[in-house]
Amino acid sequence: MDDYGEQISDSEKARIAHDFIIHSPPGEVETVMKDVRTLLNNDNTFVDGMMSALTKYRMDQFSPVSVDDGSVLITNHGKLDEGRFLDPKSQRSFKYNVSSKSASDVQPEQVDSSVEGWRSEIENSIKDYIKNYYPNGVCTVYGNSGDGGESVIIVCIEDHKFSPENFWNGRWRSEWHVTIDGGNAKVVGLLKTQVHYYEDGNVQLVSQKECKDNLTVSSEKQIADDVAKLLAKCEFDYQNAIIDNYRSMSTTTFKALRRQLPVTRTRIDWNKILGYQIGKEIGK
Amino acid sequence: MTEKQLDCALDLMRRLPPQQVEKNLSDLIDLVPDLCEELLASVDQPLRVLRDKQTGKDYLLCDYNRDGDSYRSPWSNTYDPAIADGAKPSDKLRDLEVTANSAFDSYREMYYEGGISSVYMWDLDHGFAGAILIKKAGDASTKIKGCWDSIHVIEVQEKTGGRNAHYKLTSTVMLWLQTNKAASGTMNLGGSLTRQLEKDCPLNEGNSHISNIGRMVEEMENKMRHTLNEIYFGKTRDIVNDLRSIVPLSEVNKQRNVANELKAKLESKN
Repeated sequence: MDDYGEQISDSEKARIAHDFIIHSPPGEVETVMKDVRTLLNNDNTFVDGMMSALTKYRMDQFSPVSVDDGSVLITNHGKLDEGRFLDPKSQRSFKYNVSSKSASDVQPEQVDSSVEGWRSEIENSIKDYIKNYYPNGVCTVYGNSGDGGESVIIVCIEDHKFSPENFWNGRWRSEWHVTIDGGNAKVVGLLKTQVHYYEDGNVQLVSQKECKDNLTVSSEKQIADDVAKLLAKCEFDYQNAIIDNYRSMSTTTFKALRRQLPVTRTRIDWNKILGYQIGKEIGK
Repeated sequence: MTEKQLDCALDLMRRLPPQQVEKNLSDLIDLVPDLCEELLASVDQPLRVLRDKQTGKDYLLCDYNRDGDSYRSPWSNTYDPAIADGAKPSDKLRDLEVTANSAFDSYREMYYEGGISSVYMWDLDHGFAGAILIKKAGDASTKIKGCWDSIHVIEVQEKTGGRNAHYKLTSTVMLWLQTNKAASGTMNLGGSLTRQLEKDCPLNEGNSHISNIGRMVEEMENKMRHTLNEIYFGKTRDIVNDLRSIVPLSEVNKQRNVANELKAKLESKN
């Protein structure tokens, strides 16, 4: 090592590598990993740390994976031991390769039967909604029993469009927690959008919104339908509000920052500006 | 190895969220301290503001008016914190710098109606270079925060005979927009675009260096404003609407089918 600049510790280097990887824009983590590896001089000391960052990234991003004839999301709610993930719909688990984004070694998996009725009913009722609003949407619905005997159904939705040849990528994610306790259901959602445009630049949209509501529960079918309606409404409202913001940002905020042309509606006469300046100097 | 590392470092800065550009850049420098000077010179950061203690006027900070940890004010030509022999332009170039500062001050007022501008110049072997900086923050009373940072770097090569010069302009505009509303949650739309322009311009009574540079910067900023408007509020919005459809996809398909049928009918008539 040379003595130019201060050298940081290996643990600090690992922290930075981890931060860079988990903050990769949608669809770009492979390139970011390659860059980081080169910056670390391909030092093998950091391989394990980078792989665990990549695993976290795949889960944070709700990466979809094909398992046999269906698609499942990789999320922290489906994480099992030894790099395996759950497909609650088919009641199977699989080994997930975070680098190749592929599934293997599919095995039957025991699911929580006490919540399966709620889970599958909600999954069924939102299926049409996903198909009708997300061009490439994938949805995975998990069911768990809470400590107090309540049923917790978690709905994860993902849609992405990657267009690296046109220098842009984008991803939508929603995560809904439906906690059913007796005659009440508490619904909490987190909706996220990220867009990256990088032709001769780096422009990103990063947005998120939290939603909360309560529903009454009379039957599995009824709550499933009401959850589907609520999700559709909240997600529509969020998207609509973003489009509204775009409108006011463009017509109001942006316009107030810089004019298209000066008040005179003509470009500047630079010789006049200079003459005016000299005149001002002489007049002092 | 270092050149490849620089490419990777710059590629990373093109990908990581621009909203955290300062943190990402400082992490990157920690990771590869050898690239420190090159990274500071090639990665644009949001412009910071300092007040000139002598004139009371604000000026903008960037790598081009930095010497060590001190920054030079274009108004008093002094460094803050004071340093013994901080880099300064030659007397002749300083005269040009003073004129450029007042010319771009007028330019700023006419296009931005507020904000801060600063111009810095430094000598080169066969000419000189300059950085023209403009910062404008939006009105804080609205619910949407906005900020514009322009960084224009111009390299000027004087041709022998002095009747014309070659100008190479590299312009970066950073635009930051932020809001947090009940209906939309947080929305942060920001980053930068960079463009280049090279030109030969005559030098005579009607065309000085300042007016040549001024016209180039004005043309570039006008074009970039148009591009920013399209990319920020058109392109990225369209991508959001590609991720989730605001109207049911069955409706979209129905409309598409009707349009196709109509088109087929018209074509069969012809």
